Amino acid sequence: MTDDSQRNFRSVYYEKVGFRGVEEKKSLEILLKDDPLDIEKLCTFSQRFPLPSMYRALVWKVLLGILPPHHDSHAQVMAYRKDQYSDVLHALTVIRFISDTTPQAEVFLRMYQLESGKLPRSPSFPLEPEDEAFLAITKAMEEMVEDSVDCYWITRCFVKQFHSKFRDSLPQLPKAFEQYLNLEDSRLLSHLKTCSAVSKLPYDLWFKRCFAGCLPESSLQRVWDKVVSGSCKILVFVAVEILLTFKIKVMALNSVEKITEFLENIPQDSSDAIVSKAIDLWHKHCGTPVHSA
Amino acid sequence: MAQLANIGELLSMLDSPTLSVRDDVTTIFKESLNSERGPMLVNTLVDYYLETNSQPVLRILTTLQEPHDKHLLDKINEYVGKAATRLSILSLLGHVVRLQPSWKHKLSQAPLLPSLLKCLKMDTDVVVLTTGVLVLITLLPMIPQSGKQHLLDFFDIFGRLSSWCLKKPGHVTEVYLVHLHASVYALFHRLYGMYPCNFVSFLRSHYSMKENVETFEEVVKPMMEHVRIHPELVTGSKDHELDPRRWKTLETHDVVIECAKISLDPTEASYEDGYSVSHQLSACFPPRSADVTASPYVDTQNSCGGATSTPSSTSRLMLFSPAGQLPQSLSSPSTRLLPEPLQATLWSPSMVCGMTTPPTSPGNVPPELSQPYSKAFSTTGGKGTPLGTPATSPPPALACPPDDCVHGSSSQATATPPRKEERTDSSRPYLQRQQYLNDRGLEDPPASKGSVTLGNLSDFLGDLASEEDSIEKDKEEAAISKELSEITTAEADPVVPRGGFDSPFYRDSLSSSQRKTHSAASGTQGSSVNPELLHSSLDKHGPDTPKQAFTPIDPPSGSADASPAGDRDGQTSLETSILTPSPCKIPPQRGVSFGSGQPPPYDHLFEVALPKTACHFVSKKTEELLKKVKGNPEEDCVPSTSPMEVLDRLIEQGADAHSKELSKLSLPSKSVDWTHFGGSPPSDEIRTLRDQLLLLHNQLLYERFKRQQHALRNRRLLRKVIRAAALEEHNAAMKDQLKLQENDIQMWKLSLKNERDRYSQLQGQHDTMVTQLYSQIRQLQHDREEFYNQSQELQTKLEDCRNMIAELRLELKKANNKVCHTELLLSQVSQKLSNSESVQQQMEFLNRQLLVLGEVNELYLEQLQSKHPDTTKEVEMMKTAYRKELEKNRSHLLQQNQRLDASQRRVLELESLLAKKDHLLLEQKKYLEDVKSQASGQLLAAESRYEAQRKITRVLELEILDLYGRLEKDGCLRKLEEDKAEAAEAAEERLDCCSDGCSDSLVGHNEEASGHNGETRTTRPSGPRASYGGRSAGGSSSSSSELSTPEKPPSQRFNSRWETAVGEPSSSIPTTVGSLPSSKSFLGMKARELFRNKSESQCDEDGVTSSSLSETLKTELGRDSGVENKTPFNLDASHPSSPNSDSVGQLHIMDYNETHQEHS
Repeated sequence: MTDDSQRNFRSVYYEKVGFRGVEEKKSLEILLKDDPLDIEKLCTFSQRFPLPSMYRALVWKVLLGILPPHHDSHAQVMAYRKDQYSDVLHALTVIRFISDTTPQAEVFLRMYQLESGKLPRSPSFPLEPEDEAFLAITKAMEEMVEDSVDCYWITRCFVKQFHSKFRDSLPQLPKAFEQYLNLEDSRLLSHLKTCSAVSKLPYDLWFKRCFAGCLPESSLQRVWDKVVSGSCKILVFVAVEILLTFKIKVMALNSVEKITEFLENIPQDSSDAIVSKAIDLWHKHCGTPVHSA
Repeated sequence: MAQLANIGELLSMLDSPTLSVRDDVTTIFKESLNSERGPMLVNTLVDYYLETNSQPVLRILTTLQEPHDKHLLDKINEYVGKAATRLSILSLLGHVVRLQPSWKHKLSQAPLLPSLLKCLKMDTDVVVLTTGVLVLITLLPMIPQSGKQHLLDFFDIFGRLSSWCLKKPGHVTEVYLVHLHASVYALFHRLYGMYPCNFVSFLRSHYSMKENVETFEEVVKPMMEHVRIHPELVTGSKDHELDPRRWKTLETHDVVIECAKISLDPTEASYEDGYSVSHQLSACFPPRSADVTASPYVDTQNSCGGATSTPSSTSRLMLFSPAGQLPQSLSSPSTRLLPEPLQATLWSPSMVCGMTTPPTSPGNVPPELSQPYSKAFSTTGGKGTPLGTPATSPPPALACPPDDCVHGSSSQATATPPRKEERTDSSRPYLQRQQYLNDRGLEDPPASKGSVTLGNLSDFLGDLASEEDSIEKDKEEAAISKELSEITTAEADPVVPRGGFDSPFYRDSLSSSQRKTHSAASGTQGSSVNPELLHSSLDKHGPDTPKQAFTPIDPPSGSADASPAGDRDGQTSLETSILTPSPCKIPPQRGVSFGSGQPPPYDHLFEVALPKTACHFVSKKTEELLKKVKGNPEEDCVPSTSPMEVLDRLIEQGADAHSKELSKLSLPSKSVDWTHFGGSPPSDEIRTLRDQLLLLHNQLLYERFKRQQHALRNRRLLRKVIRAAALEEHNAAMKDQLKLQENDIQMWKLSLKNERDRYSQLQGQHDTMVTQLYSQIRQLQHDREEFYNQSQELQTKLEDCRNMIAELRLELKKANNKVCHTELLLSQVSQKLSNSESVQQQMEFLNRQLLVLGEVNELYLEQLQSKHPDTTKEVEMMKTAYRKELEKNRSHLLQQNQRLDASQRRVLELESLLAKKDHLLLEQKKYLEDVKSQASGQLLAAESRYEAQRKITRVLELEILDLYGRLEKDGCLRKLEEDKAEAAEAAEERLDCCSDGCSDSLVGHNEEASGHNGETRTTRPSGPRASYGGRSAGGSSSSSSELSTPEKPPSQRFNSRWETAVGEPSSSIPTTVGSLPSSKSFLGMKARELFRNKSESQCDEDGVTSSSLSETLKTELGRDSGVENKTPFNLDASHPSSPNSDSVGQLHIMDYNETHQEHS
């Protein structure tokens, strides 16, 4: 109740009228003021509202477990993280896996591989698809987060969480995608089916790379807000919305290859709208997440 | 052929003198005609007829039945085309048509009609034309609607013939023209009657042409004087006339009568609608008479009854008047008026046959009846007038003249009958005429004297024959020829019939038709006899008819009246009867004489047809009915057909006379046949005569046809009259009934009156009864009231009694109550009494007991006094002891209470303290949790760092191993050593450079972990066994020292390093432990900070002791947490020493708290 008393009393009406996110920053600040941060509340908030960019890194770090909920230990923990980062980096440079010229993303990848014990024997070894996804995500993340330590940690934990938390639900996503597409536009789905393109849609791009490289980062981070806060279904809706948005073009295309090609290189200009609609769609089908407490 | 021959034979047999043979042959022919359908037989018959003029054949031909009509018509048509046979075939056609065969409607479609018309337009022979026109006239009413196609043809024929009459083309003799004129006149009437509009328009157009004007003036205009305006001219139109619907309802005779109606000519006209011909006569004849001769005779004759006048005039001329008169009279008519008077003289009978006989018959009677009555009963005389009509009037005139002639009766006497009759004539329509006629009537006698009826004609002719000598031949011849010619032609407008003659002939025709067609046999005699017979018959009819027609009552009176007249007439008639069978005189006599002897066969029919009632009714009706009844007399004509024979005979006689004359003329050739006169001039004359005869015959036949039509009509009218009479009778009967019913009503009224009287009587009685009863009722009511009053009084008394009874009852009740009460009281009292008795007894018993007890008490008292125990001191002492004891106890109790209160207060204090402690404990726990989570977070991070380190080392090891592998492959030990030296140098350098160094890449198996703290130890998975072993040696102290004194680590680090360097020279590689000390120190600082914070917060609350306590507690906690965190990794050995002591301390503190509480 303390939250509400400090919040602008108009916020309720803002939401009703449709101005979403007007009071979000303030409420987020209030949330962040709690000493042991309430992870649950932060999750709910992140699912309901887009995060203000200035707090995004902090919230992500908290949600991903990079920072503990206690403010007091933040500095120390962050120092640990930094140490760890520099250690790993140093080790890699020592074994000459990376050099100064190595791109940041690859550095992160090697670091991640090292930390997960999957470092190949030689940097010249071909990359696994997982690594490709990681690279893509890292590239996107580089744009979002300035600090390289943060960036590495967030990427690392994001991917880790993605693979651990959503390990069971990830294979279900294509099916869910079909189901929701059928609900939204059965004709489109039937068209895809007639083209036998359903199974060959760029699911990797969508569900393994989380649209990294597909959507511009400004809109992508809104999607990842939801993913970070624990919902991978948003990916399905983004995919559905992409198809709905480019329905006419997709309907015009008949061959699998063309459809896939088009979907892998969708125009960037309407991505913001796509994401907004996708979030609406997600809220519509899965309900607006409410804080359980 | 055999058949033909047979037919020829049969035909010849037809003319056999024997009747039976003739009849047989006739039947044979008819049978064969019935059986055969071919035209052969008919053709032969026609041929035969044309050859022989055989009468039986004619009869057969005229009665031909349906299938043969076509053949006959074809044959006739064929012959009409031939000029030679035209005349005879036309006469045959005339015969056929007049009989109105059933197929007459076919005539209009037959080709015969156009050919006939063509013949009429083309032919120039007057005889043929006249015959043809007559046939046409006869034919017209039979085919009225189909005639319209040929309407223009008719009109053309009329125009042609009318111009003929005037222009006389060729050398046609005047005598023929007269005939022709008459037939044209008839045609005019027919056409005008049937198609007035068309005809008038035709006349208008035809005679508007100049060349025809003369014809119009001379011929047509006079004709038009004899017709009145046809109503169709006003109402109808050309189309309407030709409309078949108009004709459908009309029968042939209707058409004929229709035509006759519009005629003003007395001979042609019909009287049905009340047109008075007399008027016309008066209108027409006066001028004519003036024209003809100025002589009053003619005038009067004309005026009185045109018909009679003419014959009279002629007869007079013939009989009485000297020859000198004749020329005048003849000449004048011959020029213009001849047709009428002259023809009339000869032809009146035949003409009258059709039209006017009926009037004559009444005419016979009326004179007789009317003479006496005439003065007295003008009205009754009037009755006769209708009968009189033009035709009747003459008879008296005729009758009178004879009287005059014989008796020389006064002019008055003679004048009366005519006057009366004239009056009758004119009285119907025009009374004015009467006087005029009367005036004329005065002049009649002379005229009537000379009148010669047709009946007389025969005689007259006979006379002629006998008296030829007295008259000059030429004149006679001329006269006769003229007469004859006029007779033939004048038919068209014959003057009013002369009843006397007409009737006899007519009767004759009747009788002859009935019984004699064989009149031929009767022959010469008949001429004289027949008339008489006929007269007789007529006489019978005469009286009968009027009777039937008008008044059945009349006859007796008529007969009675007739007697004087009869006397009178008788005288005259007796004389003249034979010579001149004038109807007027003869009737009465013959009526008496012959009436019984020869009742006419149809006489009884009238009796049946007209019952007395009808006659009675009719007699009442008088004048109203007169016009209708007029038909009745006409009905007498019904039996027709035979007057023609009479006429034939007449003509024959005339012919005979003429031949005689001729014989006289030419003495030598007296006995010569007709043929004898062939080529000579006389023969010429004979031929003309023959033609005339033929024409005359044709006229006769035409008239006969007309008469038949009239007869038909009469029959219809009679039926109507009969019906009317029946209705009248019915009416009369109804009236009788009405009367009877009226009588009944009267009777009923009477009885009603009686009933009313009775009713009023009864009413009176009833009233009196009622009044009596009322008075009784009043009395009774009075009585009733009295009784009522009495009963009222009694009732009040009764009421009083009842009240008294009630009161008494109440009293009784009260008394009863009292009694009961007293009884109750009594019983109570008795009970009390018994109780008191028992109590007394008890009292006595108790008293006794008391006494006994008192005694016992005394006894015991005595016993007591005898014994005295001393215990009071002891009791008092005991009491005091008790009291003291009680007080002691009380004070003790007080003490106890106070103690209790104190302890309770203490308990409360302690409890509050306990609560505080609990709260503190909770806070502590919460805080502990918080710190724990914080630490865990940090630990997680650290752990992850550790993990990373492990991974790093692993990678490094891998790298190293890899490098080793390579070295071994090279097999250069030196290099290896150099490498080792390099690595050592590098490690040393790194140690110097950074406090928290990375793990050295050259860490080997022999690296000692003894000097390291737990964490570093744990982070080295590789070679743990060795390090554990080492640590177990001096780990306990180090660990404890590390924990207790965090400041030490650097020294220790050094120590350990040195230890490793010294203690394990085998490895010869200085191992460096990186960031451990620093991290350790960091941890320690953190822990210290934490402790300090918490302790401060604790100090605020619990003061110094508690703060110290809390501090120790915190350290313990911190330690605990550290230990706990380490436990998974540390050896058991390090644990027991310190943690145990800590836990003891903790327990102790807790105990202290309790003990402190206890102490407090």
